[in-house]
Amino acid sequence: MKLHELATVLRSKSAGPFLNTIDIFLETEETYRRVRDSGILTKDLVARLYHIRPEEVLGIFFVDEARGIKITVPKPNGVASGDPDCRDIYGAQYYIPLLDIEIP
Amino acid sequence: MKEEIKVLSGIMMGDSLFDERNWNIGLSHNPDVIVAQGTSSDTGPAYLATGTLYGGSLGIKRGLRAILLSAKGRGIPFIISTGPPAGANQQLEKVLGWVDELAKEANLKLRIAVISGELDKDYLKRKMRRGSRIRRLVDIDRLPEYLSEEDIDHSEHIVGQMGPEPIMKALDLDVDGVITGRALDIALHMAVPLRAGFDKGLAAHMAKTIECASLVTVPETSDAVLAVLRKDHFLVSPTNPDSKCTPVSVAAHAFYERPDPNRELNPGGVLDLSGAKYEPYDERTVKVSGSRWVPAPYAVKIEGARKVGFRTISILGIRDKRMIGQIDWCLEQARKHVEAHLQPLRPGVDYHLLYRVYGKNGVLGEAEPLKQTESHELGLIVEAIAPQEEVSENVCELAGRKLLHMDYPGRIATAANVAHPYSPTANNLGPVYRWSIWHLLELEDPCEPFRIEVRRFG
Repeated sequence: MKLHELATVLRSKSAGPFLNTIDIFLETEETYRRVRDSGILTKDLVARLYHIRPEEVLGIFFVDEARGIKITVPKPNGVASGDPDCRDIYGAQYYIPLLDIEIP
Repeated sequence: MKEEIKVLSGIMMGDSLFDERNWNIGLSHNPDVIVAQGTSSDTGPAYLATGTLYGGSLGIKRGLRAILLSAKGRGIPFIISTGPPAGANQQLEKVLGWVDELAKEANLKLRIAVISGELDKDYLKRKMRRGSRIRRLVDIDRLPEYLSEEDIDHSEHIVGQMGPEPIMKALDLDVDGVITGRALDIALHMAVPLRAGFDKGLAAHMAKTIECASLVTVPETSDAVLAVLRKDHFLVSPTNPDSKCTPVSVAAHAFYERPDPNRELNPGGVLDLSGAKYEPYDERTVKVSGSRWVPAPYAVKIEGARKVGFRTISILGIRDKRMIGQIDWCLEQARKHVEAHLQPLRPGVDYHLLYRVYGKNGVLGEAEPLKQTESHELGLIVEAIAPQEEVSENVCELAGRKLLHMDYPGRIATAANVAHPYSPTANNLGPVYRWSIWHLLELEDPCEPFRIEVRRFG
């Protein structure tokens, strides 16, 4: 199933002007563990989707109490919020490439 | 020591309705303090640099009216951060003008402690000359590792996110409330609990949970939320009777706009949420415990913005699929046209020509997973940034004009290629800025940079 079918929330926002943070929340313990334990959400996947190096991914966090997963990455191409080349001041639409990721 | 502290928390960004019924529900709990944060750097550097307000004056006045009238009417202290979003003096003073008008209209006499969030440039330079090394908060190349005096001079304004300490000091001054400029969002909510001796980790986590008000409730509304802080836990609930807080909605808020859901660096400590527990207290209230404060050197984040040039844009609509199918080629021709006309000015140095192709990849750029657009129409923004205003205008107009008239393979409409919605067709948007200071100012005295002044209103 695709991540957007499993997740109840899949969102992104700026975490300060230099980072984007993506949050994924799952409705049930079952779906949360399925996604968490699938091994799909890795730095390599994130690097591929966002055209960065895996070591640039600042973190992939799994928080069981919230049934939530957080992925933090630098904003693309070193362009900060509000910089002339900025496409998305709030980082609001950065989650899009994750929507269709297949989770077994 | 008090058994509990009740905090009623709203937001002052201009889009909260302060619905009377729900606000009164909040007041009926007899809060010990009313708090509303209203500054943010999320909207980008231009607001700090230009002193522009954000959020709409009407909404902010509505918030001020709700808070000031109910606080003064019931003898409840209030703490507000304002001058949205940047919280520099220019914006703060504008809002204080509205406070005065409101107080006069409502026949209120208010004594308010005003704490500026704007930092004096000479103060910063003096500290540096005495040995302070002001280090960048994020390790990226475009930020200088340590601030120089030149960095300070080039920033139009500099603000700092004060911690709770200046607010606590202000509360000692026999005032109706405190209004700050730029401040750390959780500082406002921590001040009263810390002054009353409550646990710092719990106070900070409580503050973090309620600082965006109803973002922790389901469904989200624009109402205030109520927190009750006790010795070893806190409770959080909505004021809107049709919403509720759930353990997940509260736990999830630790994620919001933060790079790390478990740990957050604040002035004087790290808020560690890794051991936090979220339990239902009743159908609409959540109980939180286990938050920890791990001491760290005291430092406030300071923010500055620097001008990088001028921006001119042109908005064009393209509807012919023949052109849409070759849009990259067309845009490249326009780029070459500009380069030929403007030489010896150098692209990338003396000017920067940028295209935003909505309908193709305007939002995501190279991260866009769909490589081939199926759109029947494109919204194109032609954008020129240059250190010189005249150059930005010329670049934009040259590119736009080329796109308007250029020939392309298979073209059938030889009169004009694009739909301009506006006259003038190229719009000078004025100066453009970037965040240039995002650094940590270490302090021995948390109140040192932030001037506190008691003022009368009404």
